[in-house]
Amino acid sequence: MLRSCSQNGSKTLRLTIGARYRPIQRYHYIQVRRVNNAPPWRPASTLDEWVGKEARPISLRQLMVFGRTLTEARLISSANYVRTELPTRLAHRIRDMQTLPYVVVTNPHISQVYELYYKAFETLRKVREIKTLEDNEKLCKKISQTLREHLTVIPQLAMGVIECQDLMKPEDMDKFMNTILRSRISRRVIAEQHLALTETFNSPWHFPDSPHTPSVGTEFVGEVFLKCNAGEVVNRCYNTILSHCSATYGPTTSLPTLKLSGHLDATFPYILSHLEYIIGELLRNSIQAIVERQKSSPRGWEETPPAIEVTVCEAPQHVIIRVSDQGGGVPRDILPYLWSFSKGPRSSQRLENLNQVPKMAATLQELRVSSDIPAPLHASSHPEAHERSDPIGSGHDSSLSSLSSRPSNLRLGMGLPLSRVYAEYWAGKLELHSLEGYGVDAFLQISKLGNKNEQLTMRASMDAV
Amino acid sequence: MKLFSRPLRSSNRHLLSQYPSRPVYRTVSFARHPSPSAHKWSHPPSSITIADDEVANLASQPLHALSLADLVKHGRPPLSTEALFSSANFTLSLLPIRLAHRIQALRNLPFIVVSNPNISKIYNNYLHSLSTLLPYNAKTISTLEDEIRFTAVLADLVETHSHTIPTLARGFLECRRYIDPAEVTRFLDEHLRARIGTRLIAEQHIALHVSSQPHQDPKLNPHSIEVDRSSSYIGVIDTALQPAAIINSCGNFVSEICELKYGVRPTWVIDGEPATTFAFVPVHLEYIVTELLKNAFRATVESGRSHEPIVITIAAEPESTADLDKKGVMVSPRAEESDNPPIRPFEDSAPGVTIRIRDRGGGISPEVLPNIWSYSFTTFSEDELPGQTPGSGNMDALNAISGASGEGSSIAGLGYGLPLGRAYAEYFGGGIAVQSLYGWGCDVYLRLKGLGRPKG
Repeated sequence: MLRSCSQNGSKTLRLTIGARYRPIQRYHYIQVRRVNNAPPWRPASTLDEWVGKEARPISLRQLMVFGRTLTEARLISSANYVRTELPTRLAHRIRDMQTLPYVVVTNPHISQVYELYYKAFETLRKVREIKTLEDNEKLCKKISQTLREHLTVIPQLAMGVIECQDLMKPEDMDKFMNTILRSRISRRVIAEQHLALTETFNSPWHFPDSPHTPSVGTEFVGEVFLKCNAGEVVNRCYNTILSHCSATYGPTTSLPTLKLSGHLDATFPYILSHLEYIIGELLRNSIQAIVERQKSSPRGWEETPPAIEVTVCEAPQHVIIRVSDQGGGVPRDILPYLWSFSKGPRSSQRLENLNQVPKMAATLQELRVSSDIPAPLHASSHPEAHERSDPIGSGHDSSLSSLSSRPSNLRLGMGLPLSRVYAEYWAGKLELHSLEGYGVDAFLQISKLGNKNEQLTMRASMDAV
Repeated sequence: MKLFSRPLRSSNRHLLSQYPSRPVYRTVSFARHPSPSAHKWSHPPSSITIADDEVANLASQPLHALSLADLVKHGRPPLSTEALFSSANFTLSLLPIRLAHRIQALRNLPFIVVSNPNISKIYNNYLHSLSTLLPYNAKTISTLEDEIRFTAVLADLVETHSHTIPTLARGFLECRRYIDPAEVTRFLDEHLRARIGTRLIAEQHIALHVSSQPHQDPKLNPHSIEVDRSSSYIGVIDTALQPAAIINSCGNFVSEICELKYGVRPTWVIDGEPATTFAFVPVHLEYIVTELLKNAFRATVESGRSHEPIVITIAAEPESTADLDKKGVMVSPRAEESDNPPIRPFEDSAPGVTIRIRDRGGGISPEVLPNIWSYSFTTFSEDELPGQTPGSGNMDALNAISGASGEGSSIAGLGYGLPLGRAYAEYFGGGIAVQSLYGWGCDVYLRLKGLGRPKG
């Protein structure tokens, strides 16, 4: 009888063999190397039931309006929304994974993500209707724990995708990745928003029954930063990345300066961590390109590197941020794979790098891994503007945390496609134009009004394809 | 096969007199050009008769996809007599087929469209050109007199068709109620791209001829190419074309028009690597740059920021270390709905050039943005269209100033600049991308694939 146990590595199988020479049974040990991991079989009926439900998308505006006046009733209502939305969305993604080719899902990385998702699904679907604040507390604990456990999902998926490059068509793989990442953002947004609202409700400065006009200093509604100022965000991201790059490249490398222009007063509501991730990645790409171009150019490191020019343009309905650099452009061999999660000629290098990142969530925040950068704010943070100047906004590990914490020269090849997923999630756009031999222009378009619904891939539209 | 999305109310004859108030849209498949029936009434009215089976026969033959190798394989001028003959015969093998395909395509347009005098004129031009070439079709060119006569025929062809675009534009504009804009775009995309190739073949031979016989037949020299033994030209291709020079000359030309129309001359600066040179067809580049600059200048002036220079960046692709002896790039005309077999440009070593034109003209509004690539979409108001108002004296003056092989015209208004510019850029594997920052300005990226190093 074969008894299969753990996931990786070689296992020993115990075979009972009929006794030949002696009446005592003898066990013979055979070493078998388990090649892949098949997740255990589970009944499909529960999942079917949840897959049948449609996800109810939200918009930034709804998030803001909802959270502005927090009463106990509202908090409970939010908790119930979260309680049903999370398992529904999880179920959709689990079903997606179940329809992937068998050989892909048995890849150890993908398989691990699958297990995480299923576990979360099982945990959350069993939560009963929330009626009191204590119920909400229990829910919040479960959610926090799930969020923490799922911090490894992005690197795992990325590694799995690269390893499975030959097993699926790249377009299909990219479509799968985009869907799953988009859904992941949506779940974390909903979850983190609810956690932040709970925090606000519980904080000593909050009076649930007071008249609802928020104080002037409240710039955050949960995770949504009402007045993201493009110029300020760009400056902040730039400084953070600059300090990180100096640490990596050393004091002898001169790094490019930032030149900001345009409508610097433009503000819009957005989830700050998302914006910082995208801009951080774009700036990081630019700085890296410029530094590497300088190193390889015959002029050496003597000259001042050309500045990165960032222009903010405000129109009635959206804000466009253009990041222009003179880093030499995107090499021709990489250009087709720029937006793909399968990386073409640089795959093996990317895979190695991915292995070195312990857990990846993805924001600017965890750039502060080294000790000389101040630790994040404590959970019971005072929701006032000056303390919120720290980009984190809340104490728990926000979903975008550790991707940016990697050393600058660790190229993962995910910055652009992942940024695009974030940008498009709130109905924005991310485009890149390369002038080969000169530099790159990146255009990030953000919808200003916050009234566009999140762009989920609905079950209906997926089945229709 | 013709597909009608809505049944015609009555027979064709009544259409002209009815002038229906609602546009009658039909989807016509251009993917294959069915051979016309044997009845003469199925052809648009024409004074030239070419045997039906002649056209049908030619149109049924596949189109040859033009490549740089084809253009330069006869050698560097001055050509020997044999090389000249080979070039002439090569041209002869291609042109009648291409013309026949165009005739076929025109015949498949809606009747009311081809009846329009402008379109009908173009149709007749094509028939006329084909009829002048047919006598040569039967034989090979092997004598110098034949070759000279043939080149004269080619020159006549080029001359006849030099105003095709404004004429077609006018014709389609007048017919806009009877044909769906998407159809117009489809037809024109295919037609104009094919035209690029046809003219290139013809002009290349003419140029090679002229530069091989510098002291004979000066009247056959419409292009005034100076023959110079050390010239970088191979026919119409300049192997040492400097984009900055073209930009400057086009810029001067367009800013003159601006001064005439608006009283103000926008300025520009060129940064990046202005000294870059590469191999390309100068007239093509001139056309594209003129059109893009027209857009940029107009936007700049009309937004009131004419004091801010337009920034033009020239980026030269670094030479790859790949095999530099490769013959060059394959032409890849956009082949979605044409008979041209799709050819993807293979990996070649020819470095290209990217030109970025950055203006502060306020950008393109989101309502307009989806339409910028359709033919005859223009934000110019209708009464300013060239040729429409008889009193628009300065329009005619501007038309007279126009250069660039007779296709340039006023500052704006035809709505052809962007799509046609893109057709030229894509013909050799490049492209144009437009990025609008509404409220600020516009960035236009012109990617040109170099034509590589020809052998010898």
